[in-house]
Amino acid sequence: MIDAIATVERNDELAPGYKLMTLSFDEEIEVQAGQFAMLRALGAFEPLLRRAFAIYRREGLRRLSFLYQVLGRGTEALARLSRSERVEALIPLGNSWFSNSTTNGLHRAIIVAGGIGSAPLLMLCQQLKRMQVNTQIFFGAANRSAAKGCGLEDFRALRLPMTISTDDGSLGERGFVTAPLERYLVEGNGVGATVYACGPWAMMRRVAEIAAAFDLRCLVSLEAPMGCGFGVCVGCVVAIRTDGPTGYETYKRVCVDGTIFSAETICWEINAMLH
Amino acid sequence: LIKVSVLNQKISQVTNRDTRLEVEIAGIRFKNPVIGASGTFGYGLEFAELIDLNRLGGFSTKGLSARPMAGNPPPRIIETHGGMLNAIGLQNVGARAFIEEKLPLLRHYDTQVIANVFGYSDDDYIEAITILNDGEGIAAYELNISCPNVKEGGIVIGNSALAAARLTEKAKRASARPLIVKLSPNVTDITEIARAIAAAGADALSLINTIVGMAIDINTRRPRLSYGTGGLSGPAIRPIAVRMVYEVAQSVDLPIMGIGGIASAMDALEFIIAGATAVQIGTANYYDPTVTMKVIDGLIEYCNRNQIEHISLLIGSLKIS
Repeated sequence: MIDAIATVERNDELAPGYKLMTLSFDEEIEVQAGQFAMLRALGAFEPLLRRAFAIYRREGLRRLSFLYQVLGRGTEALARLSRSERVEALIPLGNSWFSNSTTNGLHRAIIVAGGIGSAPLLMLCQQLKRMQVNTQIFFGAANRSAAKGCGLEDFRALRLPMTISTDDGSLGERGFVTAPLERYLVEGNGVGATVYACGPWAMMRRVAEIAAAFDLRCLVSLEAPMGCGFGVCVGCVVAIRTDGPTGYETYKRVCVDGTIFSAETICWEINAMLH
Repeated sequence: LIKVSVLNQKISQVTNRDTRLEVEIAGIRFKNPVIGASGTFGYGLEFAELIDLNRLGGFSTKGLSARPMAGNPPPRIIETHGGMLNAIGLQNVGARAFIEEKLPLLRHYDTQVIANVFGYSDDDYIEAITILNDGEGIAAYELNISCPNVKEGGIVIGNSALAAARLTEKAKRASARPLIVKLSPNVTDITEIARAIAAAGADALSLINTIVGMAIDINTRRPRLSYGTGGLSGPAIRPIAVRMVYEVAQSVDLPIMGIGGIASAMDALEFIIAGATAVQIGTANYYDPTVTMKVIDGLIEYCNRNQIEHISLLIGSLKIS
């Protein structure tokens, strides 16, 4: 983990409301698929807190890109940055998709990307392809434009089997991304696969249920408002299932205990109130 | 004066330490008056990768209770303008685990460790202190009677001069170490509480804790924090904190650690001039994790620029004509 000052190389709109920002760093930064950074325009006081962004892609030795949806004060401030402006970056943070599991024996993977939840999944797909793991992608977004904004072309370029769905049917199948996932499994595909998911809370909750029903290991990358990103503020917690009397005594920090958790450990019904 | 200054700079170059910044509070020597504030500095170790902990005056741990605490359900934090609201609810590993798991690692660093202590009742506080008395490498206790985010103990005690004095007296008796009491700003007259705590035997005061606030989601019409209210911190509260430090410094004869929205050496100096012997830095650690080092550097620069022989010459030096 370093606290670096990076320079904006590009900050392009992929689709209305979605941007891809490439940052160049003075030094090479070792990052794993699924990790994130806390970013803020250098010296900015509005907003005060840095915001957490998944690392989307490595763009050469000292460049990393971040795919984001412009949603609030933090992302609006980032969206205004142009080439050569500077950004404070605490990086790399969080665990990775392979932190708690060995890749030995991993022969089949299912990726479920919902909306901007695609951001921490591209590097994972790149890695799975390099490892020659049999990988099937389910890519869901609100509509055709959002799909483009969520990096659809980058996922397509991997030439991995992919099923696309949109809420309004403007691209691919109409409906939620979980429908083709469930059908795929019902049809007898994906036996023994590990499921990797990131997207809206309700989507991840449903993916977790489906994976459990088919006895598949499932990992999810969670999002939470974060104060610091490195474990000290204890603000970004998620309720974790325990054997205790209420079943959810334990709160884990999304920033350092995650962002990637085994889906079965998440107390989905408790945390659902927040999402 | 010039000779002293040159000598100090040489010492500073050799030991990375500027003796002009050394301060003493309740018999504890801090190499500089810059201290990480409780709740924003974890157990200190989280910062080891980011800053040189050996350069830091000290830090106050996340509030420690006799038994581990789960904390409040999320959402626990929300950013406001110039600050943030939090209602963490004192999630912590517990006093025993702190001694066994964190302290041995902290002993590798040359910085003063203040154990912040919390309880729901007087007995809880005393139990936590009794456990922590066994810990080697704790410089002092900071009695947290001002956390606004738990329903019992804490702020309930800190809002009453009588209850605060009673607990201070008990804690002082139980404590093997100097006792700092952290004051709540959520009171009508902070000097009344400060005087009562001073009379009860506290060795130092730290102030202010967060200011109770609230934020509402206008779409769901629910509070943005699960707890309902939260503690406001960050630059937004600094002028309130400076005023309270000034008032308390005028009314009690105890060393003060000033806290509230400090994010630069200039901010720290305001508190020192108002009457604080040292400062604690809180929320700024989140958005600028190396801020403590920047404040130390800034204090040295200020001393150089203004030919200040020792930082203590600035304490309570406010001119009111």
